[in-house]
Amino acid sequence: MSFATKEAGSNLWRNRLMTIAAILTVAISLSLVGAALFLRQGVSNATTEWRHGVNVIVWFHPSSSRTEQSAVGDELTQLTYVKSCTYRTQTYNYDQGKRFFQSLLGSASGAMTPADTPASDQCVLKDPNEAAAISARFTNMPGVLNVSYPSKAIHNMENVTHIAQLSFLIVALILLVSALALIINTIRLAIFSRRKEVSVMKLVGATNWFIRVPFMLEGLVQGLIGALVAIMVVLILNWQLDAASAGNTLSTLYKMRLAGGELAVILVAILLIGIVIGALGSAFAVRRFLDT
Amino acid sequence: MITLESVTKTYKTGTVALKDVSMDISKGEFVFLVGASGAGKSTLMALILREELPDDGRIWVAGRNLANLPRWRVPYLRRNIGCVFQDFRLLPTKTVFENVAFALQVIGRPHHQIEKQVPQVLDLVGLASKAKNMPDELSGGEQQRVAIARAFVNRPLILIADEPTGNLDPSTSKDIVQLLDRINKSGTTVVVATHDANIVDTMRKRVIELDNGEVVRDQNRGVYDVDIDDSSGMSARDLVAHSRGRRG
Ligand SMILES: Nc1ncnc2c1ncn2[C@@H]1O[C@H](COP(=O)(O)OP(=O)(O)OP(=O)(O)O)[C@@H](O)[C@H]1O
Ligand SMILES: [Mg+2]
Repeated sequence: MSFATKEAGSNLWRNRLMTIAAILTVAISLSLVGAALFLRQGVSNATTEWRHGVNVIVWFHPSSSRTEQSAVGDELTQLTYVKSCTYRTQTYNYDQGKRFFQSLLGSASGAMTPADTPASDQCVLKDPNEAAAISARFTNMPGVLNVSYPSKAIHNMENVTHIAQLSFLIVALILLVSALALIINTIRLAIFSRRKEVSVMKLVGATNWFIRVPFMLEGLVQGLIGALVAIMVVLILNWQLDAASAGNTLSTLYKMRLAGGELAVILVAILLIGIVIGALGSAFAVRRFLDT
Repeated sequence: MITLESVTKTYKTGTVALKDVSMDISKGEFVFLVGASGAGKSTLMALILREELPDDGRIWVAGRNLANLPRWRVPYLRRNIGCVFQDFRLLPTKTVFENVAFALQVIGRPHHQIEKQVPQVLDLVGLASKAKNMPDELSGGEQQRVAIARAFVNRPLILIADEPTGNLDPSTSKDIVQLLDRINKSGTTVVVATHDANIVDTMRKRVIELDNGEVVRDQNRGVYDVDIDDSSGMSARDLVAHSRGRRG
């Protein structure tokens, strides 16, 4: 075994440029896989939270009168499919918006003042699918600026993230294939630069496994290191989201942050894919270029 | 120790390298394999090492029928056969000691055994003082001694040498063959394929001659060349001289 590790180590060092290229490609592709899984998990977290929360928001024009607002509020609560509504003042919405932008951009938008900010009625529905009906009914009522229903936004967001996820996965797949090719190529080079040793080993009766193991180990190490780099990237991403959404319970970012268990699953998946890629590449190279 | 029964070998290219070859080499024998270039000597060696398989006939080496030998057993067969070639095949980045030790290392022999056996065999081939040298610091004859030490360090039952003196001058060649003879005297079966009439004639060992893939002579205490008047009017020696001249 010490022979195998020494051989693998010296092969990796000898072909270090190729090795680094292979490791980086593995790392980038696995980071993308991680990001795709992350996005999926994050969006599903965010949407379940939303589904259980507010379904419809009726925004009032900043210049709307209190009577206009209460007329709308009364009509809302009379509807059978509305469970409950909460009135949010201009100041409250201003504060939430300010915090949101602060967390997102690092500075508050200076253009807004509480007086420009709309007040709102945030309603929970018995059936979230009725949100569209509410929107149709209230949009043109006096004093109403706009009716937004996150279920539609969620739907849009899900679509967008779906596409993002899909593109991430496709790019990741292409990169994984190139990573595989790079691993195969580094091992092919290693076999080539060791062909004298290998032919002597065969001649004096070294077993096939004894000859193969250093090269297999080499591929495995590349996959493993690539996976570890990708794991670091995902951890940093999660940590960044944590920092960015700190203290703001309304922001999407907050909800995309992953709990320990979910994160662990993603990290283990990355590690496994890395190991499988390394093993697959080395097995192929050894079969193709070593056996007579 | 080595038995061939009606062995025929045809390469993928269609070349028939051996035709209905039979021979029986006993334990402890010393055999010269002679014949013109392309006669099939190296092919015979490849069959013994099971680098190639025959199309027809049967081969036994060290008591094993090679046809029944599973692939994974081949390395264990090779541990019984030491190999020496014209081009030495030493590893240029390793010292003399390391080159010989490598052969034991890669078959998983323990460190203490390596430390004991390598100096012994280097002593046997007369290179104890050059253990720390690199191969390119040695003469051709010395390099071939290292190769022989590597082939013999595991005490194989059989030692086969394919033109071991092909790159050496006559007096060095004689030393090398005498070394092989000494190894033979220790009980190892030795088979030497050669073009070198000189060494064959001085040693007077068993000579098996191949011509165009067929055994044409099997002679005890033989010489390189019995003058045969074949139809081409050329003796085997002339043919060899001819082909050597062509290669430059
Ligand atoms: N791998 C191969 N593929 C196809 N043909 C081969 C192969 N090896 C040898 N041959 C052919 O088989 C015949 C016997 O070759 P072989 O190498 O056994 O001869 P040899 O007696 O060792 O010759 P030499 O004295 O030149 O080494 C030759 O015609 C050669 O061209
Ligand atoms: Mg030959």
